[in-house]
Amino acid sequence: MMARVNDPELTKQRLHLVVEEMYDRIVKGEPPTMTLPVRTKNNIGFDKKLGVYKYGKKRSTRDATSLGSAKNLLRALHVVEFIEEMIEAGKSSTLREMYYISEAWGLGKFGSQNESNNLAEDLEVVTSCLREDFKLRPEEDGARMIGNVTLMELNRKGQWMTINARDDVGDSGYGLPYNVEIEKIQLKEHDVKFLMAIETGGMFDRLVENGFDEEYNCGLIHLKGQPARSTRRIMKRMNEEWDVPVVVFLDGDPWSFRIFASIAYGAIKTAHISEYLATPSASYLGITSDDILAYDLPSDELSKKDIEALNAELTDPRFADGWWQDQINMMLEIGQKAEQQSLAKYGLDFVTDTYLPEKLEEMGLA
Amino acid sequence: MNAIIQEPWAMGLGRLRPDVIRTKEDLGGVRHVAGIAEKMASNQKQIAISEFFEKNKHFLGFDSLPRSIITAVKESVDNSLDACEEARILPDIKVQITKADLKKDILELTTEDNGPGIPQKSIEKVFGQLLFGSRFHAIRQSRGQQGIGITGVVMYSQLTTGKPTHVLSKIASEPTAVSVKIGLDTRKNKAVKSEQTRIIWENDDLTMKEHGVRVTTKMKGKYQRGRQSVFQYLRMTSIVNPHAEITFVDPDGEIYHWPRVTEKLPRKVDAIKPHPHGIELGQLQRMCRETSDSRLSVFLRQNFSGVSMRAAKELCEAAELDVSTKPKSMKPDDIRAMLEAFQGERDVGGKVVKLLSPPTNCLSPIEEMLIKKGLSKTIDSKFISTMTRAPTVSHGNPFQVEVGLIFGDGMAADKPVEVLRFANRVPLMYQQGGCLLTKSIESVDWRQYGLDQAGGRGVPKGPAAILVHLASTNVQFTSEAKEALSDNEVVFEETRKAMLEMGRGLRKHLEKKKKMAKTREKFELINDILPAIAEKSAAILERPVPDLAGSITKIMSAVICNETTTWNKETKQTDVSITLFNYTSRARSYSILVNWPERSDGEMVGNERGGRKEAMGIWGWKVETLEPGEKAHIQYSLSNLEKGDWTETDVFFRGSQDVIGASKLDEKMLEEIRRQEQILVEADKEMPADKEEAQPTFDTGVVEGDTGQTTLFGGDV
Ligand SMILES: Nc1ncnc2c1ncn2[C@@H]1O[C@H](COP(=O)(O)OP(=O)(O)O)[C@@H](O)[C@H]1O
Ligand SMILES: [Mg+2]
Repeated sequence: MMARVNDPELTKQRLHLVVEEMYDRIVKGEPPTMTLPVRTKNNIGFDKKLGVYKYGKKRSTRDATSLGSAKNLLRALHVVEFIEEMIEAGKSSTLREMYYISEAWGLGKFGSQNESNNLAEDLEVVTSCLREDFKLRPEEDGARMIGNVTLMELNRKGQWMTINARDDVGDSGYGLPYNVEIEKIQLKEHDVKFLMAIETGGMFDRLVENGFDEEYNCGLIHLKGQPARSTRRIMKRMNEEWDVPVVVFLDGDPWSFRIFASIAYGAIKTAHISEYLATPSASYLGITSDDILAYDLPSDELSKKDIEALNAELTDPRFADGWWQDQINMMLEIGQKAEQQSLAKYGLDFVTDTYLPEKLEEMGLA
Repeated sequence: MNAIIQEPWAMGLGRLRPDVIRTKEDLGGVRHVAGIAEKMASNQKQIAISEFFEKNKHFLGFDSLPRSIITAVKESVDNSLDACEEARILPDIKVQITKADLKKDILELTTEDNGPGIPQKSIEKVFGQLLFGSRFHAIRQSRGQQGIGITGVVMYSQLTTGKPTHVLSKIASEPTAVSVKIGLDTRKNKAVKSEQTRIIWENDDLTMKEHGVRVTTKMKGKYQRGRQSVFQYLRMTSIVNPHAEITFVDPDGEIYHWPRVTEKLPRKVDAIKPHPHGIELGQLQRMCRETSDSRLSVFLRQNFSGVSMRAAKELCEAAELDVSTKPKSMKPDDIRAMLEAFQGERDVGGKVVKLLSPPTNCLSPIEEMLIKKGLSKTIDSKFISTMTRAPTVSHGNPFQVEVGLIFGDGMAADKPVEVLRFANRVPLMYQQGGCLLTKSIESVDWRQYGLDQAGGRGVPKGPAAILVHLASTNVQFTSEAKEALSDNEVVFEETRKAMLEMGRGLRKHLEKKKKMAKTREKFELINDILPAIAEKSAAILERPVPDLAGSITKIMSAVICNETTTWNKETKQTDVSITLFNYTSRARSYSILVNWPERSDGEMVGNERGGRKEAMGIWGWKVETLEPGEKAHIQYSLSNLEKGDWTETDVFFRGSQDVIGASKLDEKMLEEIRRQEQILVEADKEMPADKEEAQPTFDTGVVEGDTGQTTLFGGDV
C-alpha cells in the first residue's frame, strides 16, 4: 500500500505551505489566496497506477476578494493553528467539537457544522494529509463486522487487545473505531474466503442469524448506508494486506450504485485520498437490474430524483464501463428499483439458500 | 352669497328649494334622500323617520349592524377632524365602544374631541336637524358627506334603542360646558332636548377641559374586526391625518393608540367657484335664476373660475348673446347655448374660447412627508416610497393624486398587498374591487418593481401596503354608498403614473439595499477580515505582519461611496455624511449629487464643502482628483425637519468610473425635475390673481337663510 504520512512534523510543514501562500500574496500586494483542486465529478480521473479515481489537474483559487471566501481563508488559518495545538498536546477532537471551539475564533468562526467539515476536507486535499493526521475525527461511528477475523486494537490504556470478530463478540459483531490505521488496528490472522459488505442492518442481521458467515467462510460487514471512511479503509486494508476479495451486496437503486462506486473507485468528495480508501477489485454482487427481472422481485417505481441520479451516473467516469452502462440503462428502461429485503418474497432463507449461492457461484466464490 | 355646492347630487340644495330638487337631473341617490330629508325638515310632507331610514338605509350607511356602528363612528370622527381643522386645532380624539346589552346587540359609543365646541344654541340644530351642515355650499375639497351627518346617528339611535343622544360641549369663551340630551320626536319628526344643564367639564386628570365635544349614544350595532371595522376605519383615518392623536377603546377594553406624528395641520383650503368645464345644465340654470347680477359678462366673470374679462366677452360672442343680457331673463335656449360655449362646442371665429384652469389651492393633499409618517406609525416597516402628483384638472374639477407604498418585513410576503384607499382623506372600506383606485393599481406590472404578481395583472403580492389618495373638489362615486370611485380616464392615468413612479422608487430601494449590502461586505472584508488574515498568518509563520495597502486596492478595485443619514437627538437635525473612497490605482474626479427635502421646507446647514443647487431638491458638489487610496468627505445637516422625516439620502454621481454605493446620474431625470419645478413656479405666478376671486372658506362655508346662523365657531352668533 501507499506510504502514509503520519509524521506530525511533515503534517505541520504542509499546513504551513497553505499559510505561506496567503502570507506571500499579501506581501506582494495581492489578495491572499488558497489554491485547491476542483472537487466535482468533472475533475476526477482514473489513476492507472493506483487503480482508483483521483482529482485531476483542475485547480480553483479561493481568493479573498469576496467576503465569503475571505472568511474561509481566515477560518483555514484558525484550523491550522488549532491542529498544531492538538498535535503538540497529543489530543484529538471531533469535527463537531472543532465547530464549537470555533465559537471563540471571532471573525473566523464557522457558520455551520457543514462549513467545518468542508474545510477539514479542503485542508486534506491541499496538504495530501489525512484527517487522522490532523487529529480530527468524524462523528459517524464505524461499521460492524462478523467473521473469523482476528485483529489487534490499541485500547485507551495503551495495551494491544486481540479480538476475534466471530468468537469474541456478540450478535452485533465487532465495532470498528474511527481510526483504523496501523497505529491503532493491526490485522493478525483470518480464515475467510471473501468479505461481503452489506448495505442494510436488516440484511446483515438476517445473514448472521442464518449463520451465513460460517457456512460460506466469509466476513460480513455492515455498511450503514454510505460507508464511513474507516469502514472503507478497513476493507481496503484487509483486501490489500490479506488479499481477500470484497463483494458488495446492496439495494438495487441508483444510490446503491454510488455506494459501490465509492467503495471500489473512491468518492468524489474524498478523491484526494482515494488510494487509501478505495478497493478497486471490489465487485458488485447485487441487487442488479437483471436481478429485478430474473428473480421477479417486488419493486418500486423510480422517482424523478432516481431518474436524475441515474442519468447523472451515465456521465460519471466511474460508471464508464460497459457493464455499468448496461445496468443503468436497463434500470431506466424498466423504470423500477428493488430493495435487498425484497428477496424475502420467497421466504426468509431464500437469500442465504438460493440467491447468494447462485450469485457467488457466478463470481467464482462458492 | 354666491357659494355653490361642490357635490353633484347636492347641487340642487343650494337654497334648499323643493322645486329645484325635482328637476330631472336631480333624481340620483343621495340627492333624492337629501330631497326627502329637506322636505321633512321643511314640513312640506310628513313621512315617518323610521320609514325614511328603512327606505334609504344603504346609502345612509345603516344597512347592517356591523356597518351601522362604523357609520356612527365615521360621522362623529369626521366632524371632530373637520371642526379641529377649521379652528386650526391639533385634534385629540377618543373613541370608545362598549357593549350596553350583550343579548340585544346594543352598543354604546362615545366620541370626544378637543375641537372648538358647539355653542349651546346650535347644539339642537347640529344634532337634531337634518342637513344642518356647512360643507354643502363650497367648491373645495372636504371630507364629504357620506351619510346625512351626525343627525342621522341620533335618529338611528333613537329608532333602534329609544334612547336620546347625550352631548357635552364646551367653547373656550364660556367657563362651563353644556350637557344636553337630544332625542327625536318620531311623531312630529322634531328634535327634542331634555335635561339641559351647564356643568364643569373636567379631564381625567381633573384639569378643566378648555373646549371640545363629547357625544354618547346607544344604538343597535355589531362590533366586528377585520378589513371592514371601526378599528380599520380609525387606523386608516390616522394614516391620512398624521396630525391627529387618536385613541380607541374597543368593547373588550383593549386600548389602541395612534399618536400624532406631526404638528402640521393640513393646509387651509380655499373654496373656489365652479369652472365652466365642470358645470351641468341644471346648475347653470339655477345660477342664472338666482343671481342678482344684471349683465351676463359680469355674471360670468364673477361666478366662475378661470373666466377673464376677455373670456367672458368671447363666451357671450360664442353663445351669440349680448354681454348686457340679464342672466335672470335668459331663456332655456340661451342657457343651453352658453353651456355649449363653455364646453367648446361653440367658438369665436373658429377658435374655442380660452379659459384658465381652475385654481388648485382648493386642494389639500396630505403630502409625501406626512404620508410617510402616517404610514410608518401604523405599519412597522423600513421602506416607504411616496408620490404626490402635481394638481391637474378633469372636466373643470381640480384634483390631485397621491400614493404611498410601504414595504418591509413587518408584513406577510405571500398575501396580496393591503390596499388603503382614500377620497379627500376619508377611508374607503367597501367595494375595493370596483374602485378606480384599485383598478389603477391592478393595471401596473409590479413584477418589474420587485413585487409578485401573477401574470403581471391584479393586486400584487408581497410584504407591502399601497396607499392611494384622491383629493378633489368633485369626487365621483360608483354609487350612493360612496365607497368606490367611478371610472375617469384622466384620474386613472394620473393614478397609474403615480404608481409607476412609486414603483420605480421601490425598485431603486431594493437595488440600493442590495448594493449597500455588497458595499458593507467589502468594508468588512478590508477592515476586519483581511487584517485578521494578515495577523494570523504572520503569527503562525512567526513573521512580521505585512502591509495591507496593496491587497486592499486589488480587492476593492473600485470607487466606493458610503452614505449615512441619521437623526441627531441633540441638535434636532438630520445629519448626512457621505464618504467617497478611491480604491483604484488611478486618480479620479466626480460630481456627487444628492436629493434632499427642499420642497418639504428642509434647510441645508453646515455644508462646508459648498457645491451648488442643481435642481429643486438636488444638490451637487465637485470632487476633483481623488488620488488612489484617498477619501473625500461631504457633510451637512438638514434642519427644520422632524425625526423620521428624512431617513435615506440618494447619492448620484457624474463621472466615468462606476461608484459602488451611488447611482449614475440620469440626466433625463434631472431635466424632468427642472421641468416640474418650472411648472410649479408658473403655477405660483398665476395663483395670486385667482386668490382675489376665491372667497375665503369661512364666508362661504356657512349656512344662511334657513337657520340664520353665520358661524359655528367662537360663540358669538
Ligand atoms: N364635534 C364638533 N365640533 C364642532 N362642530 C361640530 C361638531 N360636530 C358637528 N359640528 C358642526 O355641525 C355641523 C353639522 O354636522 P353634520 O350634520 O355632521 O354635517 P357636516 O359634517 O356635513 O357639516 C358641522 O358642519 C359643524 O359645523
Ligand atoms: Mg358630518
